[in-house]
Amino acid sequence: MRSKIINLLWPLAFGTVLILAWQFGFLHKILDLKPFQLPIPSEIASTLADNLPKALQDCGVTISGALVGLIIGSLMGFMIATIATFFPKWGYGGMIMVTALNAVPIVALSPIMNLWFSTGMQQKIGVVTVVCMAAMAINAYSGLNNLKPHSLDLMHSVAANKWTIFRKLRLPNSLPYIFTATKINIASSIIAAIISEYFASSTSGLGFGIKDNLRKAEMAMGWSYIVVASLAGVILYCIILLVERDALKWHASQK
Amino acid sequence: MKKSKFMNLVAVIMLILLAATGCSSGNSAGSTQGAGTDTGKTTTGKLDKVTLQLKWLPQSQFMGYYVAQSKGYYKDAGIDLQIVPGGSDIIPEQQVYNGAANIGVTWVSSLMKYQSKGWGLVQTGQIFQKSAMLLVSKASTGINSPADLKGKKVGSWFGGNEYEIYALLEANGLKKDTDLKLVQQDYTMNQLLKNEIDAASAMTYNEYGLLLESGLKDSDLHVINMNDAGVAMLEDCLFVNSDWIAKNEDLYVRFLKASIKGWAEACADPAAAGKVVFEADKSVSLDHQVYMAKEVAKLVVPKDFDPAKIGYIDPAAIKQTADLAYKYGLLTKPAVISETTVTSKYWEKATAK
Repeated sequence: MRSKIINLLWPLAFGTVLILAWQFGFLHKILDLKPFQLPIPSEIASTLADNLPKALQDCGVTISGALVGLIIGSLMGFMIATIATFFPKWGYGGMIMVTALNAVPIVALSPIMNLWFSTGMQQKIGVVTVVCMAAMAINAYSGLNNLKPHSLDLMHSVAANKWTIFRKLRLPNSLPYIFTATKINIASSIIAAIISEYFASSTSGLGFGIKDNLRKAEMAMGWSYIVVASLAGVILYCIILLVERDALKWHASQK
Repeated sequence: MKKSKFMNLVAVIMLILLAATGCSSGNSAGSTQGAGTDTGKTTTGKLDKVTLQLKWLPQSQFMGYYVAQSKGYYKDAGIDLQIVPGGSDIIPEQQVYNGAANIGVTWVSSLMKYQSKGWGLVQTGQIFQKSAMLLVSKASTGINSPADLKGKKVGSWFGGNEYEIYALLEANGLKKDTDLKLVQQDYTMNQLLKNEIDAASAMTYNEYGLLLESGLKDSDLHVINMNDAGVAMLEDCLFVNSDWIAKNEDLYVRFLKASIKGWAEACADPAAAGKVVFEADKSVSLDHQVYMAKEVAKLVVPKDFDPAKIGYIDPAAIKQTADLAYKYGLLTKPAVISETTVTSKYWEKATAK
């Protein structure tokens, strides 16, 4: 218990020192910046407080797009992994395709999706879907196939069919991998959603807010959007951690 | 953070380079010619390095600098000019302030915003005398006047480029948040061509040309011109860092003089200027650069404007830009117009006979 508190205190102390150094201008001295280039935390906080409804609304737009894309992308990734497991010969080709797709940078993907979809929300979901698909497909494929030694032999010895093997052996085995993929995807879906908003036709969302305000010299407003984006990412990540802890009670990593 | 650190690094390297070249040219000039070599036209020693940050990609919008560069006017003035292209996320005000560039080209309204936030920048020349901003719609949409924009989808590039549109809307009794839908426009005209938006922002010299090149005719298009609507804000101007100009006044005057010469030639023969720009960077197509050069010439030397006054800062136009920027929400307090924010003294020196 004590070590847990100390583990928590260190980063907390470090964060506090950093924010104080930022607030009282040490950071500005080190980096040779003026407050209008890097606004101080209290200014960011008060700007955020003044514009909270707008910021939350934009946050809702970004996060909902990110989550819908995350769900669609993860489902598609999982389906690809399942197909590759059931039909290894040609299904694995699909895996390679997805991995190749994963190498396309988001900044290239966003304008392309812009051409395909007319609204900002569709475009955002499209980008996030593609980004989330690969991590899920690769992880789920590992989970479905990296089985404990002899467990497959055991299933065969009791004449289990493919579907039973999938349900009783492969699926539970893949759960930790799926959570790993989801944790990766939470972070990348928010990044993808924000970057896609740089290019989208819509004028709502955190990405547009960050870009537009930083261009217009509204640095404090831009930073308050950055704060909201990070908070949203942390909160979503914590939710996934809690769900994982609950769903994987049996797994060694949670003991 | 990463970017600003990188920028600092770039700035440091540039400063070292500047210092190094400054010293060596001073030494060689001192040994051969003695004092008083800062009158320009230095034939001995090294050239003074100057970096010009453009607001956008290399194109005929900036033809004056390219013409002066290709004709060697900067070299004649003892300047080794480097022209740095801009882009959607390169902000000239930030580049010039942090030292990545010495001189910048930006829109006056945008510069005023940075100045009002405390950035030590000063406007030192005005290249475009007119606003080039249009709202273009297909004739079939039936937008004949600003009032017809009600209930329509209107595109803007935002990031400071939306304020002429805000001014246009409110001057015509439309509320920008409720009476119509403003959407972010990309840097093509596809949204208008595909009817995803009803009216699009367009610069006379660039996007309007793209529409014509895509096969539309002038008669297919309806245009709202910001100058006619009385909501024009000034665009391409020259500005510098206040600290830099204090030490480099002579250098800047030499730069401005050479640039004005380049602009005058470019405006007198836009077709040739377009070719020079295309040769310099092979951007888009020769036809597009020539089209742009012809349109830009009309902004730099409008009808009844004396070509000898290229670069002139019109106080009335500055005031209108400042007033509109404040009235329609770009600025939270009225712009301070003084010698520290906008000054004609370098232009007067550069154009003195």
